[in-house]
Amino acid sequence: MNSGINVNDPTVVAAFKTALVHQGIIALLIFALLGFAWITVRAWLPAAQAGTAAGPGSLSAPAAEPSWRQLLRIGFGLLWVFDGILQAQPKMAIGLPSQVIEPAAASSPHWVQVVVNWAGTTWSYHPMQAGASAVWIQVGIGIWMLASAHGPASRLAGLASASWGLVVWVFGESFGGIFAPGLTWLFGAPGAVLIYMVAGGLIALPERTWHAPRLGRAVLAGLGVFLAGMAVLQAWPGRGFWQGLSHGQQGTLAGMTSSMAQTPQPGFLASWVGAFTTFDEAHGFAVNLFTVVVLAAIGAAFVTGQRRLVRPAVIAFTVLCLADWVLIEDFGFFGGLGTDPNSMLPFALLAVGGYLALVQAPATVAEPATAEPAAAGWRERIRPASVRRSVATASIRSVAVAGALGLIILGAAPMAAAQASPNADPILAEAIAGSTAPLNFAAKPFQLTDQHGRTVSLASLHGKVVLLTFLDPVCTSDCPLIAQEFRAAGQLLGVSDRKVELVAVVANPIYHQIAYTQAFDRQERLTQTSNWLYLTGSVPQLQQVWKDYGIAAQILPAGSMIGHPDIAYVIDQAGQVRAELNTDPGPGTVATKSSFAVLLANAARTALRSS
Amino acid sequence: MNRPIWPASLLLAATMLAAGCGSTVSRAAAPASPAAPPSLATSLATTTGTWAVAVMGGSAASHNNFWQLFVRPAGTSTWRLATPPGVASNGGLVLTGLASGSVLAGFRPSQDLAYSPLATTKNDGKAWSPGLLDAGLADVPGALAADPASGRLLALLTTGTTEMSGPGGTTWTRLVTRRALAASAAGTRCQLDSVTADAFSPSGQPLLGAGCGRPGIAGVFSYTDGRWQLTGPALPAAYAHQAITVLRLTTTGHSTSALVAAGTSSAARLLAAWSTDGGRHWTLSSPLPLGGATLTSASPGPDASLAVTLSNRRAAAITSPVGPWRQLPTIPPGTATLAPGPTGGWNALAVRGTQLTIWKAATSAQAWTSAQIVKVPVQFGSSG
Repeated sequence: MNSGINVNDPTVVAAFKTALVHQGIIALLIFALLGFAWITVRAWLPAAQAGTAAGPGSLSAPAAEPSWRQLLRIGFGLLWVFDGILQAQPKMAIGLPSQVIEPAAASSPHWVQVVVNWAGTTWSYHPMQAGASAVWIQVGIGIWMLASAHGPASRLAGLASASWGLVVWVFGESFGGIFAPGLTWLFGAPGAVLIYMVAGGLIALPERTWHAPRLGRAVLAGLGVFLAGMAVLQAWPGRGFWQGLSHGQQGTLAGMTSSMAQTPQPGFLASWVGAFTTFDEAHGFAVNLFTVVVLAAIGAAFVTGQRRLVRPAVIAFTVLCLADWVLIEDFGFFGGLGTDPNSMLPFALLAVGGYLALVQAPATVAEPATAEPAAAGWRERIRPASVRRSVATASIRSVAVAGALGLIILGAAPMAAAQASPNADPILAEAIAGSTAPLNFAAKPFQLTDQHGRTVSLASLHGKVVLLTFLDPVCTSDCPLIAQEFRAAGQLLGVSDRKVELVAVVANPIYHQIAYTQAFDRQERLTQTSNWLYLTGSVPQLQQVWKDYGIAAQILPAGSMIGHPDIAYVIDQAGQVRAELNTDPGPGTVATKSSFAVLLANAARTALRSS
Repeated sequence: MNRPIWPASLLLAATMLAAGCGSTVSRAAAPASPAAPPSLATSLATTTGTWAVAVMGGSAASHNNFWQLFVRPAGTSTWRLATPPGVASNGGLVLTGLASGSVLAGFRPSQDLAYSPLATTKNDGKAWSPGLLDAGLADVPGALAADPASGRLLALLTTGTTEMSGPGGTTWTRLVTRRALAASAAGTRCQLDSVTADAFSPSGQPLLGAGCGRPGIAGVFSYTDGRWQLTGPALPAAYAHQAITVLRLTTTGHSTSALVAAGTSSAARLLAAWSTDGGRHWTLSSPLPLGGATLTSASPGPDASLAVTLSNRRAAAITSPVGPWRQLPTIPPGTATLAPGPTGGWNALAVRGTQLTIWKAATSAQAWTSAQIVKVPVQFGSSG
């Protein structure tokens, strides 16, 4: 699933930072241009003038946004912005599949892993675009939610939050781990982003539903049923939560928190989590009993919907969430590659929001009827006069919403464009192999025998670009991967491949007979690649070619394969060596193989153009 | 308004419960079946020397395990490294003896190498000439066999197919697939489960060893007149309800020996069987109870003798059907396999990282004594 490249790889980290800086400048330009346009339009089209053009169906003053919705909108908007900022961590481009997605899916059923694996592979093919898109989409959704308090735009923000949340919940959190063993509310079940989705759905509700107290009752009841279920799960025997420390073996909760305490973070936080771990080791049964009882009691109180019960339950739940967030979830984003502050803040926001929706006094329900702009149909809205009026009366919030949409497009468009290509970003190969060394000298001639027994010389390939490499036909690791990369490069070159010859010379002084080149070709499915030549010869012939091209094929003792460098030369149509590529395939994942194929194909195209 | 919320909440809670209830603590590991063929670590006695295979180095997961071949030339008591060069040996080495004391080694596939390079030596591993099997050798110590008289070879593949070569290891052709063998009358009688070993009979007939699904049947198949016949040793009635697997088949001179596992778990035992007429008649040894241990290596010795090592550091040897299994002294830690000693008795080859220690025990010895240390220049990281 992941690219296999080190998350700290300086090439990728530098490229990711550069991409973010460039896109950040574009983001600032978007906001600057929108702001400038807004100021200009307002100067040319004063609102009063625009207002005179108002006809039937002009927008009425919007209904006051209820406090519960405001809390959810601002709270989750801030969370999205914070999550977006976390996505900008330098290691995220490479690290998200290997350190977030893969571990999250590891204990889930096979079908979950298949689904998540697809996303991880997609990300690892285009780590720059994927990493940057997550940043801008999440920051954009956050700003959109923060800036948009009323109207369809605000509801759409909620819908966008729910939709993106679904993507993150499925692919990033492996369905919140709900299909994996060890599920517990204490550690984030059923996935923080699922709460974002619920909140997004509530924000997307029509304005006419905002002021009904039944909404708050329903939210709290749903949450109550869920918490009661979590209490049952927490109490379920055999899952290790009743155990603190027994015969030197930590219980499930203590095991989780002790591993959290060991992640990189400020010392005082680690000591808090460590202290809780020690406490749980000593009083595991009591801790779990407390958790079960409190979850069940809060859940029951929420289900009743009675204010006198709900109020203390919400307070208790908020305190419990904060304690869990600090002592068990360890703030959620320290250590490794945190992508969000985990589930407790969203849970607390949802509970408080539900409570506010329940208790809001009918008196505060202001002017619900005046909020309907129904008289203005869409035809009316797109008339030039209406558009002019809308632009002239646009608030700074509207400008922020437009900017947020720009940010989302800024993130989504490059990723969509990258997705259109089935090939991986060549940055992966560059990260493994370093940059290509440009050269310009005459290639040394050679005459060897191909896999079909025909004599082939370099001179006979004149007029073609030659990608020349050296492969051991009985090699177990690098050579088969390089051969696959050459085959994929040939496929990428398409019609150009008639002008390009993919050539390998045997790099084994013992196993060098044609039978081995043929067996290797069958193994690597190269028999149908028309422009593939696997050349061999006598040991002296091979040694001469190795010497001419700086190859040392070394016989190593004690069961080792032949030692030889992984190098490819690009020889142009005039027989000049144009470049030397390090073809060490690195981890040999599907992403890196595809990336190397792109690199090789690009090198051949460059040589074709320069010939 | 609460309608859309309630079902979702209930569904979510139910999902949580279902997911949680589905999670269980890890089950206790089932005991390993003794019916699995032993590791590739083994020995081979030829007229020109004694050979042994053992894995050395580091972890297989990081491709730092390198299988090594050692030889003790005839008339000497000193072992030396003789691993054929040019191919990574991480997948394992398989040995068989050819005519005139020559030895053929096959490299098992590993990582992205799917076929098996071969290597032949005529001078005790001083020089090797390459050969090729364009398929992967099976992970059993008896995957290669030779008929010294005709020069033909047998190769058991990872797929369960058996291939046979012409003289000198040229022109490999398919002899039988596992499916075809299972579908034959003999295979049906045995309810063939897996093919585990191959050999030629003294008269040059291909023999295959197998695990049978039908209890009480020892799966030795002989290829005669274009047909496969079940010629496995008939086992006593006491084994009629036990799972039987042929673990090794070896032909030495005029005798073919078979090592057979009967039963599973703590009731499992090993039996040796000998035939001098291509499997028509067998002589059966007394049983060797495994006592809950598993077989770790099996080494054929001279005169159709056989030595085995077990996972509980026990070892035993048997030289003829008339004698019982003889318990050898507790083997040294790290013992990979046993090999016939230069003057009778057995050598134990013990591995610790890159160091091989040769221990010797005379026929009636009560303990092993250290005889030699071989340091192997393992190239860590060369296959990663």
